[in-house]
Amino acid sequence: MTDAVATRDALRIVGQPVVRHDARDKVVAATAYAADWALPGMLHAAVLRSPYPSARIVRLETKRATAMAGVAVVLTAKDVPRNTLATDVPGQTTAVGPLRATLHVLAEDRVRHQGEPVALVAAETLELARDAVEAIEVEYEVTPGVFTPEAALAPGAPPVHGTGNLLAQWRIARGDVAKALAGANVVVEGEYTTQLVDAAYLEPESGVAWIDSDGVITIRLSTQVIEHFRDVAEVLQVPQNRVRVIGTYLGGGFGGKEDVTVEAYLGLLTLKTGRPVKMVWTRQESLLSRAKRHPYRLRYRTGANAHGEIVAQQIELLADAGAYAYLSALVLLYSTVTAAGPYRVPAVEVDARVAYTNNPPTSAMRGFGAMQTVFAYESQLDRVARALGMDPVAVRRVNALRRGDTLPVGQVIETHVAIPELCERAWAALGPPTAARAPHIKVGRGLACNFQPYGRIVWLHDWASAWVGFEMDGSLVIRCGCPDVGGGQASSLCQIAAEVLGVTLTRISVHVSDSALTPLAGTTTASRQLYMSGNAVLKTARELRAGLLGVAAAMLGGDADDLDMDEDRVVTRDGRTLAIAGLLAECARVGVPRSHLGVYHAPAGEPVDLATGSGKVFPDYTFGAHAAEVEVDTETGLVRVLGYAAAHDVGRAINPQSVEGQIQGGAVQGLGYGLMEEVVVENGINLTTSFATYLIPTAADVPDVRAVVVESGEGLGPFNARGIGEPPIGPPAAAIANAIEAATGARITRLPITAERVARALGLLD
Amino acid sequence: MRRFELVTPGSVDDCLSALKGRGVEVKVLAGGTDLIAQLKVGMLKVAAVVDLSGVAELRVLEGDARRGFRIGAAVTARTLERDAKLRAALPSLSESGALVGSIQIRNLATLGGNICNAAPSADMAPPLLALDAEAVIAGAGGRRRVPMASFFKGVRQTVLGPDELLVEFAVPATGPKSGGAYLRHTPRRELDIAVVGVASQVSLADGVCTKVRIALAAVAPVPVRATAAEQALEGQPLTSQAIARAADLAVEAARPISDQRGSAEFRRHLVRILTRRTLTIALERATA
Ligand SMILES: Cc1cc2nc3c(=O)[nH]c(=O)nc-3n(C[C@H](O)[C@H](O)[C@H](O)COP(=O)(O)OP(=O)(O)OC[C@H]3O[C@@H](n4cnc5c(N)ncnc54)[C@H](O)[C@@H]3O)c2cc1C
Repeated sequence: MTDAVATRDALRIVGQPVVRHDARDKVVAATAYAADWALPGMLHAAVLRSPYPSARIVRLETKRATAMAGVAVVLTAKDVPRNTLATDVPGQTTAVGPLRATLHVLAEDRVRHQGEPVALVAAETLELARDAVEAIEVEYEVTPGVFTPEAALAPGAPPVHGTGNLLAQWRIARGDVAKALAGANVVVEGEYTTQLVDAAYLEPESGVAWIDSDGVITIRLSTQVIEHFRDVAEVLQVPQNRVRVIGTYLGGGFGGKEDVTVEAYLGLLTLKTGRPVKMVWTRQESLLSRAKRHPYRLRYRTGANAHGEIVAQQIELLADAGAYAYLSALVLLYSTVTAAGPYRVPAVEVDARVAYTNNPPTSAMRGFGAMQTVFAYESQLDRVARALGMDPVAVRRVNALRRGDTLPVGQVIETHVAIPELCERAWAALGPPTAARAPHIKVGRGLACNFQPYGRIVWLHDWASAWVGFEMDGSLVIRCGCPDVGGGQASSLCQIAAEVLGVTLTRISVHVSDSALTPLAGTTTASRQLYMSGNAVLKTARELRAGLLGVAAAMLGGDADDLDMDEDRVVTRDGRTLAIAGLLAECARVGVPRSHLGVYHAPAGEPVDLATGSGKVFPDYTFGAHAAEVEVDTETGLVRVLGYAAAHDVGRAINPQSVEGQIQGGAVQGLGYGLMEEVVVENGINLTTSFATYLIPTAADVPDVRAVVVESGEGLGPFNARGIGEPPIGPPAAAIANAIEAATGARITRLPITAERVARALGLLD
Repeated sequence: MRRFELVTPGSVDDCLSALKGRGVEVKVLAGGTDLIAQLKVGMLKVAAVVDLSGVAELRVLEGDARRGFRIGAAVTARTLERDAKLRAALPSLSESGALVGSIQIRNLATLGGNICNAAPSADMAPPLLALDAEAVIAGAGGRRRVPMASFFKGVRQTVLGPDELLVEFAVPATGPKSGGAYLRHTPRRELDIAVVGVASQVSLADGVCTKVRIALAAVAPVPVRATAAEQALEGQPLTSQAIARAADLAVEAARPISDQRGSAEFRRHLVRILTRRTLTIALERATA
């Protein structure tokens, strides 16, 4: 087909800040989220959870609970057909123990973290279900646990699983680091600590399951991954085509709904009772038991020459996986690949390990291991700049990767790297400096860059499919198994189809996130969904367009290449038009399909040997630079963010409003990470299981985030877009730490940057 | 949350009869911003709840700087924040109300609820202590008055008996040259619990300080007065050196714990800073 839509000027709908079709419903509370669902005869479910981080289950007695009036069923591990699912991660460079549970349904003879599910109840009311949970008798024998990765890896540490506590290890070695450090003009050493944080989405884990009239176990829930219907089938030991997952619009996911949450429980309970069942976790349950972001200890030695060029980085990472594997090995891989930052570094050594502990499990969370490293590499770079008297923009300009450069892992950067421009624009967007409002207040500015992969690891051979079809009246239907987590995923698909097929946006219906009725498009994770399902819809719509225009050309005379589709018509170069309904009727008559199913395959590759730096790990990266202005109360240590600007090269903004939303939301979440969020766990006990103790920023704590959207026109997504879901959460913590040093001279190396930590760094406390 | 019986009395006497003889299985509900949260997480279990919203007497708010104030137990934090007369005469109490929760919370949260809930961090307690306020309590035997300095018995414990109701607070006249201030430290600007809170009230005559009260929140099981600091200032001119010395002395009244909100050491440090700052503002207001 003609690529009439390939250049920016020619775009009609892509690139417009259109109002998302789901926006109004959300504002007026008409969206039916997962918990807003009910069916006749529905039971309510509750979970019994372990109070201990490490214990043996000596006795588990459910008789009394089962006998209670109104209780339909009580289930324990022995009632689960297959209780543990595990995977292997291809491409491990270093021998480690086999990966354990990616899904562990109910505790068997041991509990390994506080909040671990032990039993399930379904009852006529939620109150009864909770009463029954309390009536289950469990006798625990507390066993010694391990609560830091260091302790877990020490000789003689109690094993969390049967194997050793080292869950995974990755190594990169490129160039002669020792030699390069020895020859460096400055060497900066730093140890950084990042904390355990929660996704803290508005909408806790929730769903309703029922056995549909066709006998299919149907689970309608809040999930980023409808493909978990396969895991549920495995757990239930039923054929995969007997389980259907319907994903709702999400009240946030951030990776916390990437692993299985309520779906296996709902599947079990509905299968055992034959009745619809609802499960909604309370905020406390969510904060207590859901997988969180890995805390890291990061040790860096960074050497630079007199021009501020980094010559070597020696990096050691240690992460806490908590009690179960989930996605820890992959999260660590992201850290390993991104550890040296978006910079040219000729000599790099990374040694990255992640260990089991009896802490809450950790897994995917926005940034996925490429986030913790930003705090370290951007703090290090600022310190190098300070040692050499360089300004923050200049030091990043001289070090920034360029197209054609090779990452330490051996991957060649194939698209434009906008780091210098992003730095300049973010820095300038802060505007004139703010004057300190009192003698004890100091004001300073900081900059931090990042790069975040988008799309899945190439050796996972990612693909997405979509179906696009016209109804006879010329209205359009899109079916795509893409979960919409609130980022406007579904709406962007409409814009892409509208662009290619010339359909008015209001004449498009989009059906997403249903494993039975929408073609599978993969997970809404890894900043991949616009890239993947967007490309799938683009490809499908283009293929459909080609077929339709062939018929139109026959009707209008001339060449299909000379036709365009716009405003629900086919338009010729000389201005003649053909209404879409007429074209569709003709298609029906001549037997040309009015719908099409297309599949997009991402560029794939083979597993990489990291140690020898043999090649490509991720399809591509999104680059960013954030600038912050902060004030520090030099008597209390309290930090306030006065101004914030976040610049990212998104390749092309399909919907600039959605892009700005992602950038602002990500930056705010990153500010929470930088300044206040922390799941406090003491000897495996979570002390922050409510929003009174787990602090996330409110509107009062964050300034207006100025989103600077740069469109290089280079990216692997539809219309050359790059992923923007995760990237904006990366830089804020480092930008704040750098701004604090600029203001006060104090360097903070531990997150979150609480007033007390700043007070200590300022020497206010003994 | 479990089911409970809801009682909706129209007068203080009706309240008292609803409470009578039922001990801890019945609780009164003012704004519910503490109580409902506690019921929801199962920290409290009750058979009945007595809703105070129909009792007009509990919302009395009258007085001025010359006569003192009567402030009903069910006066909301939002009213303390916005009532112009109260804001001018008792700025520390008004400021403490303005800091509570968010606007939505302040529309519900009451002064009486804050005090009866008796959290060590209760924001409205230090100003009441610094103002020498008294609690007016109704019970089977009539009404009694308890100075705020002896109202709290421990974490979530007060002098109130299970059959008693807090009716109002009596705040004595502050006098013409008096000023007060309340400041707290929180990680967040809004919707947060004080790591430390300090209220100061200063009265002046002929260039010297005639009376000073300093009260601290979140540094002991109950809100406490920093009496050594007060004594060091009374009869003295309030120079910045005198204020700094008093701020050091205030630290001695603090017996903080270390928890995830802050170490004891940091809390003591904050007592010093916030005492100095509140005294300075109080002095400015007293001389204005
Ligand atoms: C989101 C949020 C933010 C908050 N922020 C703050 C804050 O910044 N600072 C702060 O100090 N607090 C804060 N709180 C706690 C709470 O809002 C305050 O303590 C509030 O003042 C309580 O008043 P209430 O009317 O809601 O009390 P209720 O919840 O109605 O009652 C609290 C307790 O007092 C008892 N009680 C109430 N009235 C009487 C009476 N007249 N006689 C006898 N007993 C009585 C009740 O039985 C109950 O035990 C916050 C709470 C929430 C939910």
